[in-house]
Amino acid sequence: MSQYHLGEFEEIVLLTVAILNGEAYGVNIIAEIEDRLNRKVSLGAMQTVLKRLEEKDLVKSEFGETTKARGGKRKRLYEITASGREIVQRTKAQRNSLWNAIPKVVFKFS
Amino acid sequence: MMRQAENKPPRIAMNFFRWFCRPEFIEEIEGDLTERFYDYSAKYGVKKAKWIFVKEVLLLFRPSIIGNIYHLANTNSTVMKLQNKRLILILAAVPTLLLIPLIAMQFSTVVDWKIMDFIIMGVLLLGTGVLCELVLRKVKSNRGRIILCGIVLLVFLLVWAELAVGIFGYPFAGS
Repeated sequence: MSQYHLGEFEEIVLLTVAILNGEAYGVNIIAEIEDRLNRKVSLGAMQTVLKRLEEKDLVKSEFGETTKARGGKRKRLYEITASGREIVQRTKAQRNSLWNAIPKVVFKFS
Repeated sequence: MMRQAENKPPRIAMNFFRWFCRPEFIEEIEGDLTERFYDYSAKYGVKKAKWIFVKEVLLLFRPSIIGNIYHLANTNSTVMKLQNKRLILILAAVPTLLLIPLIAMQFSTVVDWKIMDFIIMGVLLLGTGVLCELVLRKVKSNRGRIILCGIVLLVFLLVWAELAVGIFGYPFAGS
């Protein structure tokens, strides 16, 4: 996906990072997605997307605390950036504009 | 105590992950893998958690996580490659050296090697090369390497000379 367009999974991850508001890291982003969307997510897919979003400057990260459950390894906490907020808002506006453009009759017979 | 030792992420899979993962991602992803392992362990049991761990490591084996492949060589594998390259050179040198008398035989009657001569010389050269390689792999100090390789080469030359012209008069001495 280009700098200005998000893939479906990128959008989900970015929105989840925003939902978790500074507490987002690999494991709880996956848990949140699985919980909210009832969708299985692998750690590999998640990390790939997180790194891509970070490269695009849509999220930023910093190391957090370490816990025993993580074998003494630190968490990397992700946070949505201003560019990230802008792109999710634009994506939402595009989606809404598409939804609004659908003639009412389309859903009448489904 | 024994039970606790078993409830750990599979070592081989973890080492494989540490090997292929970009160094700057290791801490974060290893922590995530470990945390998920203990979650799955509590949920499904240790055995299933280990299988899921292996599957997750395999699914992490992708270009974005591996990154630049040069970091893969930044381990002892470089040393291993060099050692193997040297051993291949030694193995290749034996038939190459044996070609010298074979070619010489075609142009001169002075050199007259029988098939047994080639076999004996091949074994001698190979033995010397492999012993030198062993010394280079096991001995770390340069001084030790020079002394031991020197002894191996000296023994080779003496055995060769004994076989060729019989310096010491052993039963296998040549004339």
